[in-house]
Amino acid sequence: MTDLDLMGLVGFVPAILRVTTPVLLAALGVLISDRAGVLNIGVEGMMLSGAFAGVVASAATGSAAAGLVAAILVGGLLGALLAAAVHVLKSDLILSGIALNIAAAAGTTLLLFLMTGDKGMSGSLASQVLPKVTIPGIAELPVLGTLLSGHHVLTYAAFLAVPGVGLFLTRTPFGLRLRAVGESPESAAIAGINVVRVQTVALVVSGAFAGTGGAFLSMGYVSWFSQDMSAGRGFIALAAEVMGHGSASGTMFASLLLGAAEAIAVALQGRGLPSELMQSVPYIVPVIALVVYARRRQRRLART
Amino acid sequence: MIRSALVSLVVTAILLVLVVGIVLVPIAMRLPDPLAVLDMFVFGPFRNPRHAGNIVEMATPAMLCGLAVAIMFRAGMFNLGVEGAFFLGGLATVATVLVVPLPAFAMAPVGLLVGAVVGSSICAVPGYLKARYEASELVSSLMLNFAALFVGLFIVNYFLRDPAAGAMVSYKIPVDARLPRLVAGTRIHLGTVVAVAACLVGAVYLFMTRGGYESRIVGLNPSFAAHLGLPIRWITLRAQLIGGLIAAGAGGIEMLGLYQRFSWQSLPGNGWTGVVAAILARDNPILIIPAALFLSYLQVGGDLIARNFDVPSEAVGLIQALVLLVVTSSAIMRNPRLMRLVQGRGGAARPAEPKAVERSPA
Repeated sequence: MTDLDLMGLVGFVPAILRVTTPVLLAALGVLISDRAGVLNIGVEGMMLSGAFAGVVASAATGSAAAGLVAAILVGGLLGALLAAAVHVLKSDLILSGIALNIAAAAGTTLLLFLMTGDKGMSGSLASQVLPKVTIPGIAELPVLGTLLSGHHVLTYAAFLAVPGVGLFLTRTPFGLRLRAVGESPESAAIAGINVVRVQTVALVVSGAFAGTGGAFLSMGYVSWFSQDMSAGRGFIALAAEVMGHGSASGTMFASLLLGAAEAIAVALQGRGLPSELMQSVPYIVPVIALVVYARRRQRRLART
Repeated sequence: MIRSALVSLVVTAILLVLVVGIVLVPIAMRLPDPLAVLDMFVFGPFRNPRHAGNIVEMATPAMLCGLAVAIMFRAGMFNLGVEGAFFLGGLATVATVLVVPLPAFAMAPVGLLVGAVVGSSICAVPGYLKARYEASELVSSLMLNFAALFVGLFIVNYFLRDPAAGAMVSYKIPVDARLPRLVAGTRIHLGTVVAVAACLVGAVYLFMTRGGYESRIVGLNPSFAAHLGLPIRWITLRAQLIGGLIAAGAGGIEMLGLYQRFSWQSLPGNGWTGVVAAILARDNPILIIPAALFLSYLQVGGDLIARNFDVPSEAVGLIQALVLLVVTSSAIMRNPRLMRLVQGRGGAARPAEPKAVERSPA
């Protein structure tokens, strides 16, 4: 490989990290909910709502940080609502999640219209963007500079959250209780664990992660909110979590794989390949990856 | 048994009124004349035969998608590919009648058949992956919905696009391929008859045939089905094949019934309406007919107030979401106190009603 190709590849890394960030954040949220036994299908709607809340709050306050906080809070609030639907109303988990997605798509459009008079885009709101981070000392280095420095602040947050979530799930008492609830709610309840509380916390945290992913979409990836802008990324996150088979690092690698697929598709689109076909790649790769993963698991089971 | 079904119907009806009110009243209050908004929403759809016709037109895809969902959910498969199957079925039907030279009488049937088979892949592939590899049908069907959308847009843009039309739409669907209109002054078409018939056949299939019985056993209790030695994988796959064929056929019927060109730029949302219809009908094909009519009545009301007042029709999405939530809520639908309350109201003892309300908090 020539030097030029190597530099091209290195230059490609920021693009991969950029498209991976929202998927990874949401997938970590899905992971926490899944390990607690309450798979969060509403992650798509929570992302969309987070994106919307970020734009509205940052436009109202003039502060990008306030936008991020609002996105996290709205995501967490929706997580609490989903928990209430499951535990207070005793509705079906998956169907409540679908309801949340339908409500989020309708609700954000409705509110956007009430605020701006426009149903499609938030162009008239002076929303803020979260900053990119330049690491002094590393930014100047030739290859490492491109790899490690100059990314969006939430990109760092997402990748730093991976060991955080991993340690939380495997090395803290609450993480242990959470996994116990996910394995068998009945046994956990007999052991004295408050199942409702644990699952509620899991869904709130899950929603906060999804909301953060949404904030990245509207305050980083682009600088506005548009109707249905999450465009199935929450579902891709769901696939990433399944592919990561329940571990934080696995979820990260799966997200990176899906992110790389999307980044390559975007790049090929620039080279004149049909953009519609390239847009379908991020949704086809997870299906293939799921099959590959499921086959491996079946073979492993067959061997034992 | 019949009595408890009646009670659950009454509770559902009360809940639906409440849900519509909860969403609509605050939105209406924002406007200068809230009563006019509510009046338009509730009674507007019936004032004019064209709008009443709209209800039936919109209920047609909702019935078929609801039936598709019900058949898959009854088999215990959370396959959400209905949305993508509907989209791809519509596209494949239009592509067939545009590209394949067919005699006039064969256009609609052949187009719909090809559309149903091609579109059903969005439900069938997740079904196959589940049966063969135990890959989650929920996740893969959600992914394939979007894959169907973008591959479909590619086909429209590169192969079917009419350069003379301003937007990215297909060539005009030949007049011979279109489904006949049935009622003058409305756009109600043959597809509505097909949809109602399909729901009736679906009920017979689910409740009176061996295949339907098998899939209900698998859905209710997979380990019992395994004990019986039922071929579970094949039964679940079959349910998803049937569901996919129905949903994709619905897309084709929608196109040939109502459209001049293929003009969808995004997933049209009929599949999700089908999910709500199926849940509202408790996966009962007969009840899907009124459920679909009710949901499209809401949609027509929403469109009417959107056209006449400063309210986006998306409010209807909020109502749909709440319907989904309260109808599946066993805390409401299986609440013994509530059931007794309604039963008391249904009986002779009307004056006792306030007492029952007073008693309930204690």
